[in-house]
Amino acid sequence: MNKTKLALALLLGLASVPAMAQDIKVGTIFPLSGGAGPDGQTVTNAVKLMVQQINDKGGLLGRKLTLISKDDESTPAVGVSRANEMIAEKADVVIEGWNSPVTLAMQPILARGGVLDITAVSKSDLILSGETNPYALRINSSNGFDAGIIAKYVVETMKAKKVAFLTQNDVYGNGFQTAVEAEFKKLNFSGEVVMTEKFAFKDTDFRVQLTNLKGANADAIIVTNSSNSSGLPAMVEQYRQADIKSTFVGAVGIMLTTVFRVAGDANNGVVSADIFFPDLPPFTIMPESTSFVAAYNKAYGINPDKSAALGAAAVQVWAQAVESTKSLDRKTVAEAIRGKAVKGTVFGDVQFLPNGQMQPRYVVFKVVDGKNTKLEVLQ
Amino acid sequence: MTVIESRQSSSIPLLRIAAVAAFVVIGFMLPRLLGGTSVAYSTLTTIAIFAVMCYGADIVLSYLGEVSLGHTVFWAIGGYTAANLSVKYGLNGWATAAATLVLCLAAAAFLGAVTLRTREFVFSLVTYAAAVVAYEIAFNWDTVGGSDGIVGIPPLKLPLLVTTFSGALQEDLWPIAFALLLLTLAFIARFRRSRLGTTALMVQMNPALAASLGVDPRRIRLAVFVISAPITGLAGWLYAYQRAYVGPDMFESYFLVMMLTAIVLVGRRILLGPLIGTALLIVQQNLFSLGGDWNKIVLGSVLALVLIFWPAGLVGLYRRITKKTT
Repeated sequence: MNKTKLALALLLGLASVPAMAQDIKVGTIFPLSGGAGPDGQTVTNAVKLMVQQINDKGGLLGRKLTLISKDDESTPAVGVSRANEMIAEKADVVIEGWNSPVTLAMQPILARGGVLDITAVSKSDLILSGETNPYALRINSSNGFDAGIIAKYVVETMKAKKVAFLTQNDVYGNGFQTAVEAEFKKLNFSGEVVMTEKFAFKDTDFRVQLTNLKGANADAIIVTNSSNSSGLPAMVEQYRQADIKSTFVGAVGIMLTTVFRVAGDANNGVVSADIFFPDLPPFTIMPESTSFVAAYNKAYGINPDKSAALGAAAVQVWAQAVESTKSLDRKTVAEAIRGKAVKGTVFGDVQFLPNGQMQPRYVVFKVVDGKNTKLEVLQ
Repeated sequence: MTVIESRQSSSIPLLRIAAVAAFVVIGFMLPRLLGGTSVAYSTLTTIAIFAVMCYGADIVLSYLGEVSLGHTVFWAIGGYTAANLSVKYGLNGWATAAATLVLCLAAAAFLGAVTLRTREFVFSLVTYAAAVVAYEIAFNWDTVGGSDGIVGIPPLKLPLLVTTFSGALQEDLWPIAFALLLLTLAFIARFRRSRLGTTALMVQMNPALAASLGVDPRRIRLAVFVISAPITGLAGWLYAYQRAYVGPDMFESYFLVMMLTAIVLVGRRILLGPLIGTALLIVQQNLFSLGGDWNKIVLGSVLALVLIFWPAGLVGLYRRITKKTT
């Protein structure tokens, strides 16, 4: 009878691989296949590196860490299955989330299973709403903060009088524009929004919108475009071809490596902001950051990008909280992070807001040599 | 050839009733037999829900001989109805289920009427187009959820006359999923023997005979299509409560490929076919996973191979093998 039970359990994939009882289990759920696969692998690799470093120093609470990595295939339904497996394997913490819908689908499952859940990348504001997970934590910046820094730069630094928007027509793009406009009000913006042009996520031809924008003659055009490998490089190229004089102000985090690789020098002059750069100050003078960049480079042969830093920070923040509370309990650990300051992460000393959001610190930059991804710090 | 109905087995009704009862009891106890963990419950609940989802598309594929690529629309209608009505208006499970039924019937009546004159390739194409349009609406219209979807779906509440059922945990949801699966199976079994079921099969297999008997094939097609929708819709309804989150991913090809593969894998017009097919696929994905890219390649190849080489599914293959050996 017992044998049949075991066989049946195995068949359904419910049996967990027995690990050393005293090991602490760190789980990751990111896309490891498909279009976002390389991105997910980057984050997973960073987590792996951090776990190794902790083990090399003797582990946590005197116990070794083991890593369980799973692939959500960028599909919420698959993410849900993976989250259930994490519960079955009794993961002590799960670091997850490249796509917001996948995170939103996994969140209630992990919360019900009592597993501590740290969102590394997914940006949706709903993740921290507290409705499904009262102990939510997120490392990446949120749309609201992103809008604040962009609005501030346009209004206070550029002193723009005429502003236009080129906005991706979905929750991300429209939400960002609304947030920027709200920030404008707070900053007593005396200029005006002269034009708004919209496009769909999958678009690659923006010439109609760009021709209209050229006519508007704005000082700055604020752009949201999350299609980093096809739509955005095309947009940058067409922007240059249209010979638009307005400054291209990209939303936070859109200028990824793929954009530079595809659009090269057309990126020159683009202004944007982000929260991590391996080769720009202040990160080049922070020991935690430089040692991470060196270790990552040694392990994987390339510099870590922002998503790698987010994965690494997630492990650091969690490990410190575990160390200080001497506990792995979800509530205890989460409460030691939410609303508290954490020292010595790859982002430097950071502060968490009471809702679990890590407070971002931005670097505003201008592209000076797009072909070689050379940036100049503006702020 | 095709099993329309094997009535012989009913010659011993008592035995048959006993077999069905045993099937029901064992089925219901299955999660506990597998150790009673929350993962056992959630996996089996998922299989039950996905199987019900497949049965809707199965009716259309098996009895009209048409491949509907639009059943994700009904699946999503169920999910979005449950999510919107429970989150924004605090309605209980009965109300959201009733609304799902009404909306699915209406959507299916419309889509069925539009596709009434289309056959085969064109039918598939039009139903697919409907799914694309519905996806764009769900993705872009913030009122129903937008690209982020809807979070915070409360546990399923089904107040009965005397008591209130509350499906807060996976363990609590299992009886509902199992009951929905049994209801669906009973409905399909009844449908197969019904006048509509047999007439639909006649229209598909022998249109000349159907025409000579004065059957209006368009009326039959519409009727079958319309009754298939709420089945898939109710699966989506329960899925929303299980996952506590609904988003535009309900239109993803993941569910569509799951439906079609689960149906053809075991064989069309076999009562337990879609259920077994779903179970096999979920088990493959969870235990014998080859990684995301390979899983999709395997799933797609299985679908293609089965359709090309064994259009009658695993059962057809089995029959061919046994015929050869005997």
